[in-house]
Amino acid sequence: MQLADEFFLIAWDTAVSGTPLLNVQATSLGLAGALLGELALQERLAVRGAQVEVTDRTPVPDPLSQSVLKLIVTTPEHSDVRTWLAYLAQNTVEAVAGRLVQARLVVREESRSAVLRRKAVRYLATDYAKGAWPSARVAMLLVNGRPMAPGDMALVAITEATGLLDSILTDPHGRREARRYLGTVMAAMPGSLRDLAGHVQAAVGDAVLSYRS
Amino acid sequence: MTATTSGAKSGADAISSALAADRLGVTDIVYFVMSAAAPLTVVAGVVTTGYAVTGITGLPVAFIAVGAVLALFSVGYVTMARYMVNAGAFYAYVSRGLGRPAGVAAAWVALIAYNALQVGLYGALGAAAAPLLDQWFGIHPQWWIIALVAWALVGILGLMRVQVNGTILAVLLTAEIAVILLFDLADIIHPAGSLAAGTLSPGALVKPGVGALLVIGVLGFIGFESSVVFSEESKNPRRTVPVATFLSVAIVACLYALSSWAMTVATGSDKIVDTARQNGAETIFNLARLHLGGTVVDIARTLFVTSVFAAMISFHNTTARYVFALGRERVLPRVFGRTGLRTGSPKAGSIAQTVLGLVVIVVYAVLGLDPLVKLFYYGGTFGGFGVLLLIAATSIAVLVFFVRNRTGENAWRRVIAPVLATICLLVIVYLAVHNFATLLGVSGSSPLRWVLPCVYVAAAVLGLVWGLVLRGANPDVYARIGLGAKAATGQAVPAVAPSAVGGSHTAAAVAARRGRHQ
Repeated sequence: MQLADEFFLIAWDTAVSGTPLLNVQATSLGLAGALLGELALQERLAVRGAQVEVTDRTPVPDPLSQSVLKLIVTTPEHSDVRTWLAYLAQNTVEAVAGRLVQARLVVREESRSAVLRRKAVRYLATDYAKGAWPSARVAMLLVNGRPMAPGDMALVAITEATGLLDSILTDPHGRREARRYLGTVMAAMPGSLRDLAGHVQAAVGDAVLSYRS
Repeated sequence: MTATTSGAKSGADAISSALAADRLGVTDIVYFVMSAAAPLTVVAGVVTTGYAVTGITGLPVAFIAVGAVLALFSVGYVTMARYMVNAGAFYAYVSRGLGRPAGVAAAWVALIAYNALQVGLYGALGAAAAPLLDQWFGIHPQWWIIALVAWALVGILGLMRVQVNGTILAVLLTAEIAVILLFDLADIIHPAGSLAAGTLSPGALVKPGVGALLVIGVLGFIGFESSVVFSEESKNPRRTVPVATFLSVAIVACLYALSSWAMTVATGSDKIVDTARQNGAETIFNLARLHLGGTVVDIARTLFVTSVFAAMISFHNTTARYVFALGRERVLPRVFGRTGLRTGSPKAGSIAQTVLGLVVIVVYAVLGLDPLVKLFYYGGTFGGFGVLLLIAATSIAVLVFFVRNRTGENAWRRVIAPVLATICLLVIVYLAVHNFATLLGVSGSSPLRWVLPCVYVAAAVLGLVWGLVLRGANPDVYARIGLGAKAATGQAVPAVAPSAVGGSHTAAAVAARRGRHQ
């Protein structure tokens, strides 16, 4: 499973309600960060400070990842991480959900509310265990202080950046240990992924500070 | 549209146009700023109470004078905003210009000031809603019952992060301004005596107690500072934001000067104080009833209620976001930097503000204090004075920032306007402190005249100390003071790099800069 797929499954209640656990802005920004993270994990791009740099133009196998890579390669005038997060966030939910549907991990259900006449889309896991696996795995790794692969580090960092981490660390005793270990993980993490997660967190925060009312 | 046209120059890339789709223009920003300024709340509530409490009549010219000073201040302010990553908050400017401990001091002052402004509005709502409740339902609830209903609504809306629909706000604001202008017109064509220009003459500014008028003046403009929050979302941050700022200041100055003058025309400038003392927040409605009839007055009263309510929500959100930004920086405990999962609201800050509101309403109700003067007017002027201190500190910070950093901005923006603004603001602060008893309408021997200003001094000192403690104990947190949400990126702010300014990440800003360099 790719990074954005796993983040989607963490951010979504695919077991019961089929709706996101997290507000729309944070979900989309987290997914956008995860899509960039996938390319960083495959060593196609690096995040240095506020900039995205393409390090290798070789196509990647996944069509969604490849479309993002192609866009970044073909529009070199946009190198700012925040520009890419803002742009990708505009339709990441549908894009990543589409990939999960195609992999038969979730099914899409549409219903039209009789009262509001509004279309509601729900995503439900085809297999409960698979849908719950990413958050269970990440929580276990953190609570037990187990070594992590870069992909897991990125997933943890983006989950924390969107404010979701506490909700997957369900055991309050484990939470303190997990948070302490998180500090170690963040320090050990590849710089690209750490900077990327920082920008996701900043973008989520800025969305709180600049909403219009 | 700027972004699209300059996008075309660079090959009309999809990213620029997609991001430019819902960019804010000048009108949008002016509307956001003005709806926080809540014109009818100021004209019906602040101006009339101001006349009644201070007993002096120079308010119209005070609005003009304060408007001119704030316009001057805004020159440097919007210029420095381009170099800020967290452009929306005064403490960020102070932190950047005068050092991080001073920034924390400013943040503490801001928290107190904006909370006072918000909580004070609960006192106005009773006065605004009571006549309507009587007329519609024949009921006469205590002011604090009305306040508690509003308090619950504000608390819930704040937590749910309900964005009040922009169109509704715009319609309400337009209606408010239309009603104010209609009232002014009716007042002016029915003068009590000859058209009195006395309250408009600059001479009114050299009378005793002028400091009080200037604080009330500042209070009317609060909200103008938020224009820069929108720089990242504006069509062209270099132009849209400054234009919107100056336009807002100009509109507010003219509208309030005209309205506060028109009242004195209708009553006669020698009678306005007595009339306002007698009628309180009813003053302008009573005057209007004589010439415009009951229906217009009822509409205006309804708008007064919605205006107060909109201002409550606006200041509630401002306060909650301040707390949130400080929580993100870890200047306040981390919990304040968290958001509600499903709502994305600045949860802890919102709850803290709501709790404070409840405490204040209960205390005032139990002690039986007058809600209009002791809560609304004191809260407003005390908060207004705090914001005046922040503006003055920010003005100094702007000056120091441009002295320390080479920017290529012209001398007017960099030095001349900030120096003039700083001098004027310091004079206003001096006069305000000097006339604080007049501002509150208390005798010169009342302890309130120095206790209230000292609250800010104490907050600033504590903030300064906390900033210094952080420097020693937690350099990581110290380094991020003033960065707001961007504290998460952990990047030191480049000394001066217009490319790293607020708005740079937006395609519009990139496009705009490219356009300029061609």
